[in-house]
Amino acid sequence: MWKYILKRLIQMIPAILITSFIIYFSMNLTSGDPAMLVAGEKATPAQVEQVRQELGLNDPIVIRYLKYMGGMIRGDLGTSYVTKQDVFKTFMSRLPATLELSFASVLIAVLVSIPLGIYTAVNQNSWKDTAGMIFALFGVSMPNFWLGLMLIVLFSLNLGWFPSSGRAGFQSLVLPAVTVGLGLAALITRTTRSSMLDVIRQDYMRTARAKGASERRVIYKHGLNNALIPIITVIGLQLSNVLTGSVLAETVFSWPGIGRLIFDHISKRDTPMVTGAIIMCSILMCLVNLVVDIVYAFFDPRIKAQYVQK
Amino acid sequence: MTENILEIKDLVVHYETDDGVVYAVNGISLAIGKGQTLGLVGETGAGKTTTALSILNLVPNPPGVIKSGEILLDNINMLSLPARELQNVRGKDVAMIFQDPMTALNPVMTIGEQIAESVMLHHKDFSKEDCIERAKEMLRQVGIDDSRAADYPHQLSGGMRQRVVIAIALACNPKLLIADEPTTALDVTIQAQVLALMKQLKQEFNTVMLLITHDLGVVAEVCDEVAVMYAGHIVEKGSAYDVFNHTLHPYTEGLFNSLPNLRERGEELVPIKGMMPDPMQLPTGCVFAPRCPYVMDKCRLGQPELKDHGQSHFVACIAYDSEDFKLRRNS
Repeated sequence: MWKYILKRLIQMIPAILITSFIIYFSMNLTSGDPAMLVAGEKATPAQVEQVRQELGLNDPIVIRYLKYMGGMIRGDLGTSYVTKQDVFKTFMSRLPATLELSFASVLIAVLVSIPLGIYTAVNQNSWKDTAGMIFALFGVSMPNFWLGLMLIVLFSLNLGWFPSSGRAGFQSLVLPAVTVGLGLAALITRTTRSSMLDVIRQDYMRTARAKGASERRVIYKHGLNNALIPIITVIGLQLSNVLTGSVLAETVFSWPGIGRLIFDHISKRDTPMVTGAIIMCSILMCLVNLVVDIVYAFFDPRIKAQYVQK
Repeated sequence: MTENILEIKDLVVHYETDDGVVYAVNGISLAIGKGQTLGLVGETGAGKTTTALSILNLVPNPPGVIKSGEILLDNINMLSLPARELQNVRGKDVAMIFQDPMTALNPVMTIGEQIAESVMLHHKDFSKEDCIERAKEMLRQVGIDDSRAADYPHQLSGGMRQRVVIAIALACNPKLLIADEPTTALDVTIQAQVLALMKQLKQEFNTVMLLITHDLGVVAEVCDEVAVMYAGHIVEKGSAYDVFNHTLHPYTEGLFNSLPNLRERGEELVPIKGMMPDPMQLPTGCVFAPRCPYVMDKCRLGQPELKDHGQSHFVACIAYDSEDFKLRRNS
């Protein structure tokens, strides 16, 4: 098992190299001269040229990329053109807020959607199933920012229960986490339902009933454990999505996370910050994928057996 | 008169699907006395498995509906028990061995846990260790080394999995063991082993057995009594000796004729002509009439009743209304 994890970690290296290469080059294609941006609007051409020299912008792009990667290995992703601060440090200072929001919203999504998915599967084709599926459809179709605004209107403006923006303790986490979480819940509910419907028809469910297990035990112990693999897959995908891209919710709630960091700096054409943050996000995604694959093995001994063989 | 462990009276089970009603079981009656093994024989689709699932009240609903009848297990009607009590009876008083061992076990639980679960559900006073210990004992009894208790089903062969299914079924020492084609999915050599094991354990555990099969060889090997089922009806019922040696129903005769004869190799097989009727549209008369070589006009009037033909050998065939009727096999 450890061998498998090590192997996967090593496999991450080329993946990160390729993504960083693509990101670095595409960012380089974006319009505008960074030197002019840094030097300021009133700088003379000579001053701009000097800045260009300092930033090493006259080197060929491949050389710049190699230098950039060399820095990355030492944890140096360059300096922001706009804030003049270290990109890596800025990213790491924003990371806790994003992790907090991501895990809280995924947790809410899981707590809502797995019971709901099981419930709709067990009551397939009844009105309960239909009601659950309408809820899920609503969750998918409802724009995140709109739900966020509605929640703000109801819970912070009218009821005054939770703050409408900022990040200050548990209370301020509730509304953004619910907003993002309900959006995620829809897909997880549908996956849980279809996976459970598959499992419910299996022979071993009948074996469990014939043993005298209660319906509850049959569904949760024998059913859910077998239905989990697709559910975990979707949760993993959702988690990596919110880790990198809950921009809308972060904007609505002024949540100081990575999504907003990237968004803000794209509009300011702050290439080093955007490049660095996206590369860090892709590393995060790789890690989440690895964790998901390891969690598979924990729930399914057949998958574990495959890992050990490799 | 022996005491009956299982009595089925006039059981009717339908599957009510969108396309129509499937008449799976149409008023069958059976009884198994202490120490007996009853073989329920018939082609695929005759309603054997539905009958077995009805005994556990496990007919999948929807679409399956037990329309009428009684199933008495040790004089308790399984069909009127509330859910909780039904759970107490399932696995403890009546247990079932399923047809396909490849799918009957939970792939993400160790086989030890799966046997132990059966014990745990019916012995609330047992600790977890007691249950595991009992599971290991069961594994040894079905001929698997108890060190394999921590294995998962995918690590076992088909024959071993079926042994595990048997261990699960017998873990609580049930009064009635239902075996639904327990050897159909296995290799012939493994079939013999599993049958011998079941026969031996039935003695040791002093349980009665309902063996469902389409294999007459298995019946001859294991059963005391035989009931032959066709399109949801029992057409012949009696001791294994009588049914094999003094066959009464034309369908049973057809089954024997379609067996290959090892002593006269190269002889052509004689299959029963035609197909079993669609259970959604059963013929109005005797269900076997469309395929019966002895068919008469009056056969098409109604399904004949099961009548005693002497020595508790029952047959549902109106040809026996005339005294001199004999099957070709018997003449």
